[in-house]
Amino acid sequence: MTSSPANRIDTPIVLDTDDDDAQLTDRLLAPLRSKSKVWYALLALSGAGVLLFVATSIYTFVGGIGLWGNNIPVAWAFAITDFVWWIGIGHAGTFISAFLLLLQQDWRASVNRIAEAMTLIAVFNAALFPVLHLGRPWFAYWLLPYPATMAVWPQFKSALPWDFAAILTYFTVSFLFWYTGLVPDLATVRDRAESRGRRMIYGVFALGWRGSAEHWQHYRIVYGLLAGLATPLVISVHSVVSMDFAITQLPGWHSTIFPPYFVAGALFSGFAMVLTLLLPVRRVFHLEEIVTDRHIDAIAKMLLAMSWMLIYSYVCELFIAWYTGDPYERYVFLQARPLGPWAWLYWTMIFANVLAPQLLWWRSVRLSPLALFALSLVIQFGMWMERFIIIAGSLSRDFLPASWADYRPTWVDLSLLVGSIGLFLFAFLLFLRFVPFIPIAEMKGLRREIRGAA
Amino acid sequence: MREQRLFAEFASTESLVEAVRRIRERTAGPIEVNSPYSIPELDDILGLKRSRLPRVCFASGVAGAAAGLALQWFTNAWDYPLNVGGRPLLSWPAWIPVTFELAILGAAIGGVIGLLVATRLPRLWDMTFELEGFERVTTDRFWLGTAVRDEDTAHVREDLAAAGAIRIASVPHG
Amino acid sequence: MTGSRQPLVHSAVDDAGSVTRRDFLRVIGSGVAVAGLGACIEPPRERILPYTARPPEITPGIATYYATTMTLGGFGTGLVVECREGRPTKVEGNQHHPASLGAAGVFEQASVLELYDPDRVRTPRQRGGVGGWDAFVSDFALTPASGGTEQGRGLHFLLEPTASPLTLSLIDRIRALHPAVGFTFYSPLAFTGAMEGARAAFGRPLQPIYDLSRAAVIVSLDADVLDAHPFCLRYARQFADGRRLRTRRDGMNRLYVVESAFTTTGGMADHRLALRAGDVADVATALLAATATPEEVRPLIPLLSRAQSEGPATSWVRAAAADLRAARGQSVVIAGAEQPAAVHAIANALNAILGSIGTTVRFIEPLLPAEAPEHALTALAAAIDARAVDKLIILGGNPSCTAPADLRFSERIRNVRSKAYLGLYHNETALDCSWVLPGLHYLESWGDARACDGTASFVQPLIRPLYDGRSVDEVLAVCGGLPTTSAHALVRELWSTQPDFQALWARSLERGVIENTASPPVSAALDWAGVLPVLAAERQRAARDSIEVTFRLDPKTLDGRFANNPWLQELPHPITKLTWGNAALLGPETAKRLGIETGDEVSIAFGGGRISIPAIVVPGHAESSITLPLGYGRSGEERVARDVGVNVYPIRTRGAPFIIPDAVVRGVKTGSSEPLATTQGHFTMEGRAIAREGTLAAYRADPRTIVPPHEIAPSLYEPVAQSGDQWAMTIDLSVCTGCSACVIACQAENNIPVVGREGVLKRREMHWLRIDRYYTGPAENPRVISQPMACQHCEKAPCEYVCPVNATVHSPDGLNEMVYNRCVGTRFCSNNCPYKVRRFNWFDYSFGVPAVLWMQRNPDVTVRERGVMEKCTYCVQRIRRAGIQAATERRALRDGEVVTACQQACPTRAITFGSLDDVDSEVSRSRRQERSYAVLGELGTEPRTRYLARIFNPSPDLTV
Repeated sequence: MTSSPANRIDTPIVLDTDDDDAQLTDRLLAPLRSKSKVWYALLALSGAGVLLFVATSIYTFVGGIGLWGNNIPVAWAFAITDFVWWIGIGHAGTFISAFLLLLQQDWRASVNRIAEAMTLIAVFNAALFPVLHLGRPWFAYWLLPYPATMAVWPQFKSALPWDFAAILTYFTVSFLFWYTGLVPDLATVRDRAESRGRRMIYGVFALGWRGSAEHWQHYRIVYGLLAGLATPLVISVHSVVSMDFAITQLPGWHSTIFPPYFVAGALFSGFAMVLTLLLPVRRVFHLEEIVTDRHIDAIAKMLLAMSWMLIYSYVCELFIAWYTGDPYERYVFLQARPLGPWAWLYWTMIFANVLAPQLLWWRSVRLSPLALFALSLVIQFGMWMERFIIIAGSLSRDFLPASWADYRPTWVDLSLLVGSIGLFLFAFLLFLRFVPFIPIAEMKGLRREIRGAA
Repeated sequence: MREQRLFAEFASTESLVEAVRRIRERTAGPIEVNSPYSIPELDDILGLKRSRLPRVCFASGVAGAAAGLALQWFTNAWDYPLNVGGRPLLSWPAWIPVTFELAILGAAIGGVIGLLVATRLPRLWDMTFELEGFERVTTDRFWLGTAVRDEDTAHVREDLAAAGAIRIASVPHG
Repeated sequence: MTGSRQPLVHSAVDDAGSVTRRDFLRVIGSGVAVAGLGACIEPPRERILPYTARPPEITPGIATYYATTMTLGGFGTGLVVECREGRPTKVEGNQHHPASLGAAGVFEQASVLELYDPDRVRTPRQRGGVGGWDAFVSDFALTPASGGTEQGRGLHFLLEPTASPLTLSLIDRIRALHPAVGFTFYSPLAFTGAMEGARAAFGRPLQPIYDLSRAAVIVSLDADVLDAHPFCLRYARQFADGRRLRTRRDGMNRLYVVESAFTTTGGMADHRLALRAGDVADVATALLAATATPEEVRPLIPLLSRAQSEGPATSWVRAAAADLRAARGQSVVIAGAEQPAAVHAIANALNAILGSIGTTVRFIEPLLPAEAPEHALTALAAAIDARAVDKLIILGGNPSCTAPADLRFSERIRNVRSKAYLGLYHNETALDCSWVLPGLHYLESWGDARACDGTASFVQPLIRPLYDGRSVDEVLAVCGGLPTTSAHALVRELWSTQPDFQALWARSLERGVIENTASPPVSAALDWAGVLPVLAAERQRAARDSIEVTFRLDPKTLDGRFANNPWLQELPHPITKLTWGNAALLGPETAKRLGIETGDEVSIAFGGGRISIPAIVVPGHAESSITLPLGYGRSGEERVARDVGVNVYPIRTRGAPFIIPDAVVRGVKTGSSEPLATTQGHFTMEGRAIAREGTLAAYRADPRTIVPPHEIAPSLYEPVAQSGDQWAMTIDLSVCTGCSACVIACQAENNIPVVGREGVLKRREMHWLRIDRYYTGPAENPRVISQPMACQHCEKAPCEYVCPVNATVHSPDGLNEMVYNRCVGTRFCSNNCPYKVRRFNWFDYSFGVPAVLWMQRNPDVTVRERGVMEKCTYCVQRIRRAGIQAATERRALRDGEVVTACQQACPTRAITFGSLDDVDSEVSRSRRQERSYAVLGELGTEPRTRYLARIFNPSPDLTV
């Protein structure tokens, strides 16, 4: 952040440093040894969030879903909104590392592991909600096809088993991808470890990696394959999630545009979250030369692009609603949302997802960490509200006016949301502390390529 | 005839590559190279044959898809057919998502298992770990290991030194 | 005598409300014994049958049915009650009984829950003293030995007016023995306007009985005959029969209603005129003037001429008059119970002039005291003040709460030296009395009753008394010092004078009516001499523009006697859909004038009292008029009733028991006012064709204007092969009055939990069958249309294909089945249900329910656990029961053999149920009507429940 705006964009894509491999390695391993006060403070804070989440989960489990604000017609509300929100956030990670890897976007190298970790944690978070929100969570496993005594099987016309499969796959593949990428670096940690205990532990996780050329060859192949597999997966997962809504008849849900629309929204919030996490990390661990302004700038541009995909979807939705002439759909889109009891939510969302991101047209904004950080929060806020409006808003104004009803969340709903954020940060902080969050081997390899090219 | 293993440490990829080239000219013996990061051009020099993992990956992907489709057909259309919403029992379009997801899952797991098999990992101990200074192979050093007949040892050592080895260790075979 | 009734404490339920197994068997045993009674065996009191020797009448799991009679407002309604292993579980109507015709209203349906109410009085107790019947008897009872006129001076009975032959005969016998004993009759359910009106028109008090089935034109002068009348079940049926359309050619009767508050009757009107209750007299006069020819009403000319000139709603009057004249002898004018004598007199006059007496209306000798209850009570109050009453025995009712405020009756009771209260609850009156005696529920007592046409029937117990209770008749007999004191013996004694008594007894207990006991019609000749003065008196009222306040019996708690019944508390009000409370109803203009909106409060002061009550703005409510429902804000010890809603009795005085012409009304903007627990928030259809309606003329001209053809979307899927019965339902919106009997029937049949006020506020009501209510027509004078809405059992059910675990699937006979055991509670099905008829168990609603209430549960229906979805099943348990029956008899099911709970309860027969497999079944034929349609059919859900568009029959002279 010291250099002046003028030469910022001219900084190399990665590695704005002259260290040799050893120095660079130590530099990248520094965070694992750091005793940052900030880190402990944040850990304590998010730890409180974890406790809140656990407590309210148990409370819900024991007391029943009635403790939430849900009702008939609004049978889904906060929990499912949180679920979709977290899943969405969990998208940028794999997208960055896999998709950009395929496109050989080298700059990804310094941010991909953070993004992947974010994905894993977010998806894990998300997966908690559908279970928690069941009327009888202790029977969640009935969604699995196993030979039950009742001889009944899951019902695969429903989108929920699709969800189940999608999330399971997404989490597994993302994990394999992340871990595969991690193995050489774990070996590095093993070999640089001072204490025997540390060497033992990391040694186990490193699987005995010794960087043999033959291994590297297979490794490259599989890593590439995983990237290739993960990319369509990113698209499919949120498409499937969107089908939880799209396959129904409900005005406001029943829409063919949902899959791409949701994917765009997911990446939007995902990239926002990457910024939310990356900017402080970069600052705290002084990684400006590794996570350069080029990275930040690139992500900001992605955000801008995504916001326009969203705007396009919004416009489509409205136009189609009007164009179909379907009274129910028209009511939801042209009356209930912009003018109904939750109009303020709707317009706040429009501000957060449509207007605010346009600031990114200005380079000065793209290069101002503070502005970006604020914006990233605004966007995630907006995306949460978008999901809430789609889910609860549509339910509260469906076909028969007689069954219309509004929805009011209880403190339990809110605590679960706040708590899940705490859970997310908690896990992320642990990741920062115990896993090399910038791919070391890849960095060095990359630098060699660039130097060779140069 | 008796053999022994020679290991050499290098500071740069250039000298490593040079050393590999020289050894290849002299002997046909197996060469293992260790490096902190991947060095693609070594594959040809070492004459490694193309990895078969993509095929493994594809096969397991197909298996996953088949399993997914079969599962849904068996559970919903064959074993316990129910009238659900007046929809046909064989509503295959609804089965696409799960089939797709399981295909990916299969491929990914197949690929990773394939990798472990191909690399014979996890293998927590390897003789090379005992070599002094070997731990830097994951940081900034490059190692080359090969087996040579006793009579060739001297020449090989020269080659390695000439290529710029900063350390050469030999381990008697057996 | 009571000694012989020992042991007195033979209750099946201990005070903790839990049922021990032995006691339960005893209860069962008694039920078994009662079963015998149908075939006339000796009383069951001391007979206990263990199941080791199972009596022939009872097969475990098979329901038995017994006829009995429920008395309300002094009149009986014949019922058939379902009994499960000795437990009464479900109340149905008795088709042989004139007041029921097979239907049972909300109060009858809900009464079975009252039987098991854990708050009932359990043992006779003296406040701060000894308990037990003997102690009470020694305190209060007269002895038959000592006769003499002085005997009994100071002893006074306060009863609710009743037509029960037994009770009346007992009173006569006591009077004969002890002339000094006093009797007073009071109940807010007793109206004497009709008799006053008869006295004016015919010279003596008479009671009108209508025959709406023969009426082509019906004019209601603020009379809610379809819902709030002892004969309302009968009248509703007759009214429906008069407008049920099977083909487009069928005729329809026409209903004119003038009323202040929206009632179910008003909701069915072809022409409704919203007017202050106090102005109904003017309309009546105008109607009389417009209908009768001058020579028919010569004596009244002076009055009428004024009326005509100033008569409000002239067009309504003119149209009604025209129709009345055109339908001479086939028309009827009915005056509302709360209306003054003058209006009744005019109604009588019109009926006389139009030759309706003898055809659509007949008169019988009054069965209830003609004296206005407020007067009677005033007399008693005076007696108390004069220290002429030192023993007051209050048999039922709740005068401390319901007596006119200016009588300060509660205090007066406390002034009496010794006072006893016999009743089901520790209500306000019980708290005022020194003795509280457990009364008997009609399902556990012997007795008799008269329907309001005089038809007598027996009250027969289905279960031994749960607690140590006595019936009103028994206490009368004991305290009156009569030799016999067992109700069973008393009732037999009374009727044994009839010829061939044994046969009559058996037959009457079986059929639930005693034949040929209806009162004979008496001649009634119109005499203007009597009409003139009341009319003149009515005219004296100065024209007011002040806001009037009217009191109405609440359609759910009446005067408050049902306030402790959670089913009724949670039943949505037919018009406002309000549950758990009452509210002041007023029109939009009036609300503006008071500067308030729904949810704000009105504060009303009158006669020294002041109340403050939340308001609901009801379009179509008469302006400058406020309706206050009685029966809430109870302050007794009943746990459910206590402090629910607002008590409006404090401003109800002797002078103005029904209408306060000029109360001091103030609007109070209370932003913080607690929200009203309504089950429906949006009352317009947003132009969506959900509850379709049209005029008869339009229907005849072209039905497609009401129900467009091809409204069922074609399906892409192969039709599912169907074999055997295919169940379906049709609901005729033309005759559905929205009375909500079906809702309670469904609740009783299907073990549907109550969620309480909080639950309703969160919109978590559990009713499987709800009644949607929409406003249609012009905003200034809207119509209401009620649409019962339950699971539509779609053939292409949207709920089914989204369930991830196959918990809701389709049965071969076309039922949308809900498998509770398999449900994990994703609630996805509810989201995808366009009708939003699915209900979710947000909590474990059956947890903590007092054990005594378990006895009401229907053993054929699962009690759902927390976290599962539930909904209407078309009463699958009844379908299966009938199917098994048919199978054992090796035959197919007959049409009409399966009757759903809602269908059975419906007074107007608006619900048809049957199999589509039989093309000639009622339901199949109903679906062939041009006005049959599927709600939201365009979604392609292919619902099995169809609706018949509501056809109404406006006069061609009036624009609707």
